[in-house]
Amino acid sequence: MMVEKKKATTKKTEAKKQETKKVAPVKQEVKKQAPAPAAKAVAAPGTTTTQKARIGVFICHCGTNIAGSMDIPEVQEYAKTIPNVAYVDNYKYMCSMPGQTVISKAVQEHKLTGVVVAACTPRLHEPTFRNATKDAGLNPFRFEMANIRDQNSWVHMHDHVGSTEKAKDAIRIAVAKAALLQDLFPKSVPVEKTAMVVGAGIGGMQAALDLAGAGIKTYLIESAPSIGGRMSQLDKTFPTLDCSQCILTPKMVDVGRSANIELMTYCEVDNVEGYIGNFDVTIRKKARGVLTPKEAEAKGIVGGGCNGCGDCDAVCPVIKPNVFEVGMKPRKAIYINHPQVVPLIYTIDFTSCVKCGLCVTACGPEKRAIDLESKDELIKVKVGTAILATGYDIFPIEKKEEWGYKRYENVITSLEFERLICASGPTGGHLIRPSDGETPKRVAFVLCAGSRDNTGVGKPYCSRFCCMYSLKHAHQITEKIPGCIPYIFYMDIRSFGKAYEEFYYRIQDEGAKFIRGRVANILEDPKTKNLHVYADDTLLDRPVDMEVDIVVLAAAIQPTADTERTRRLFGVSCTGDGWLQEAHPKLNPCGTTTAGVFLAGVCQGPKDIPDTVASAEGAASAASIPIHMGEVELEPYFATCIEEKCAGCGMCVNLCPYSALSLVEKDGRTVMQVTEAKCKGCGTCGGFCPGGAIWMNHFATPQIVAQIDAFLLGGEQ
Amino acid sequence: MSESTANHTFAFYLGCIAPNRYPGCESAAIKTCKKLGIDLVPLKGASCCPAPGAFGSIDLNVWYAMAARNLVLAEQMKMDIALLCNGCYKSIWEVNHKLKHNKDLRDGVNEVLKEVDMEYKGTCNVYHIAELMYNEKFVGVSKIKDSVVTPMTGARIAVHYGCHLTKPHKDRDFEKTVMLDTEHPVWMEELVAALGATPVEYRNKMQCCGAGGGVRGYDIVHSLDITNEKLINIKEVQADALTDICPFCQLQFDRGQIEIKEKFGVEYNLPVLHFCELLGLAQGMSPQDLGLDLHGISCEPFLQKVL
Repeated sequence: MMVEKKKATTKKTEAKKQETKKVAPVKQEVKKQAPAPAAKAVAAPGTTTTQKARIGVFICHCGTNIAGSMDIPEVQEYAKTIPNVAYVDNYKYMCSMPGQTVISKAVQEHKLTGVVVAACTPRLHEPTFRNATKDAGLNPFRFEMANIRDQNSWVHMHDHVGSTEKAKDAIRIAVAKAALLQDLFPKSVPVEKTAMVVGAGIGGMQAALDLAGAGIKTYLIESAPSIGGRMSQLDKTFPTLDCSQCILTPKMVDVGRSANIELMTYCEVDNVEGYIGNFDVTIRKKARGVLTPKEAEAKGIVGGGCNGCGDCDAVCPVIKPNVFEVGMKPRKAIYINHPQVVPLIYTIDFTSCVKCGLCVTACGPEKRAIDLESKDELIKVKVGTAILATGYDIFPIEKKEEWGYKRYENVITSLEFERLICASGPTGGHLIRPSDGETPKRVAFVLCAGSRDNTGVGKPYCSRFCCMYSLKHAHQITEKIPGCIPYIFYMDIRSFGKAYEEFYYRIQDEGAKFIRGRVANILEDPKTKNLHVYADDTLLDRPVDMEVDIVVLAAAIQPTADTERTRRLFGVSCTGDGWLQEAHPKLNPCGTTTAGVFLAGVCQGPKDIPDTVASAEGAASAASIPIHMGEVELEPYFATCIEEKCAGCGMCVNLCPYSALSLVEKDGRTVMQVTEAKCKGCGTCGGFCPGGAIWMNHFATPQIVAQIDAFLLGGEQ
Repeated sequence: MSESTANHTFAFYLGCIAPNRYPGCESAAIKTCKKLGIDLVPLKGASCCPAPGAFGSIDLNVWYAMAARNLVLAEQMKMDIALLCNGCYKSIWEVNHKLKHNKDLRDGVNEVLKEVDMEYKGTCNVYHIAELMYNEKFVGVSKIKDSVVTPMTGARIAVHYGCHLTKPHKDRDFEKTVMLDTEHPVWMEELVAALGATPVEYRNKMQCCGAGGGVRGYDIVHSLDITNEKLINIKEVQADALTDICPFCQLQFDRGQIEIKEKFGVEYNLPVLHFCELLGLAQGMSPQDLGLDLHGISCEPFLQKVL
């Protein structure tokens, strides 16, 4: 809403490509009224500067990261010969405080107009060196980086001559651009004081609770009809053996009650527009067929709406497999997942509902909660920051054909085991053999089932919590079924967390048998439906053929099916295996390269519950910072129109992927106008414009041409 | 797509066991392929593939160089290679794949080949005949069905895939072949069904025949023990015959039954036919044409059932 008020001065471009933690001067624009064309902001292009450029080149050793692979003195001598270079220096760690001081002192002493640092990558240290440039009294956008580490010394580690030459090229190119750089002024935009969390598993719930606790209104979006996610399907948690539901339910209730959380279940993110501080998110409220008391009241049905009585469930004639129980229990077309659901509102599965109307009658004329004609609705909300907590799915382990999941009845997954051992599960907590309902006496656990798998069928990564939950499963069967022996086939037991190793010893003492070896294949005895587990015992160096009653596959995990779509909406990248990409694996694990979008929990990579909760709290803290600051700075990398050159042809308007351009009448002429806030600085229009009338700030045509010339001409002008 | 009647021509790599022990495999391959629009031209001058277990486990460089020489012969004919043995597939397909993707290895191999005035260029592809049969681009199940004149109605046939065709999974380029699965494939069953026969599932289908990897040469009793276990599993489902796509597997199952009888005193009398031989019968060729009388275990009971 603040955005509306200050539209003219505050709608600025979004800085998708770069980190946002810039500390640049906040220059207040003088103009206050009317959506002004952006062209005003730049000096007339082409006449960049009358003052002769004096560029300083600073070469970083990065310890031996760079200096170990190239001849720094030679590069330094060469840099002195590049046109416009007024000063060259080198230092062991340019990013250190003394290194930065070298830069600012040189700028002042040698009256430099621009700074080139040849070091690592802008992703890492552009903000550092922009600050140093600014401290020296220059505009921070007078800084240019030459990447001679990540794209040079690291890749050509053993080619000293080659990497020295390549460093010379990179520096010459950077100097060419630096000589033409202009002063730019980032502008601040106000941040909407609301946040969004996508996914209401334990990670999303914790993030929402933290944000809400910090006084921030938070939309919590969940595609399932109720919250709790995977954790609500688990029986007990390791290593403490608390009941999962018991520790989860209070959190679910808190979420349901929090005044600052707007819980939107059975909803999906449909579209995202805007940028940090001002995301316009469209949410698809899927047709649920059942009104909440609030919705009923809004429709004038006072005292109506679903109260969770279950009368509809009792009369519904349609029977489907219950997805929450991994298909091991039936449910009706109108259903709740389990007795403790939050919110306690039934949902109609319209793909199986036959619209017989029995539920409508059963619900009765007072509540009138059921609407068989309900349709999807689109709801628009505005948020300042967003957290993705989209969680995980189980890898379809039937793809590992050698273990026979879905071919042999008594081969189950760990998630099925959780439901079977859980008191509220389909068997009331009795572990049984699916083939005959008998209690098993010998249970084999196959660890790394599809994880740490380099065959190309499974996943190469470690799923991180399977060792621990399998130990917990072993404990549960020795506890519940006297005389039952768990056989754990493992590669390594990764019991890395607090009190995990102690738990491992405890399970050993309780009588679980550990066999170090990957299971080669499993065969079923067709008569008894017992299973033969074949493996190589690598400690005893002998093959194993073990007959067991049931096999539990600790299947790998993978991102949820919807993760890909959601991440694209928010402009978040992912790694090769589909997990969402953090801004930095060590130092910014919750942030993403899209400003204002953060990651919580397993969507970023496999995590157990404690790690998920910690990550969620980190994401909530990070997402609350811009909101508490009230405003954020945006990179000034937007397109501008040089009106004298613009012919008003409008071809750029159609090309723009972000609908940031439009044609306006000005002084009797038609010219293009940029809405800076929408422009992402992609350069599509600038590259295309037949009249050269579009100026891309910081990536202007003359700057890019100078870089290409510097490379191709090898320094000759 | 499968309608194309265009003739495909391949350089036919025979290997060692087919021409020496089961000439029927060789003739069956040539004759059945002809009927399906594939010309198999002899790859003249070819040597041993060389056997992947025997050579590969002693000296990989010899293995690379000898296989590369066979590949160069096909390159000189400007043809892709077709072969009918899993062991040959492992050697020739895999060496081709490695040489195409590893410049250092290619340079090393070419240095050796220079002595015989040859150079490996990486211009040919290698296919197993079973793969050609299943792949619609070349033949496909429906075309095989159309070529059948004597359907094998009522015959229960167990399928043995053998190891080297699809294993190791990570070294096979499954995206580019039709053999999508290593652990529980069913495409050969589709081929068998196309002949009108009933493919039967049996325990531990993907187990080794017992011969490969030098096991037969090194420890015959252990090797036959593995074969025996497979035969038990196949007999359990009352199969009339076993079909394979590898002459070495065929040798192990066929001659192996005689050895098992001698050593363990167990008799199975299970006819063992290469898929090309089976296809030849279905296409109306005589058992003599297909050299079935040269098998160690008589195919007579099976022939009576299907002919």
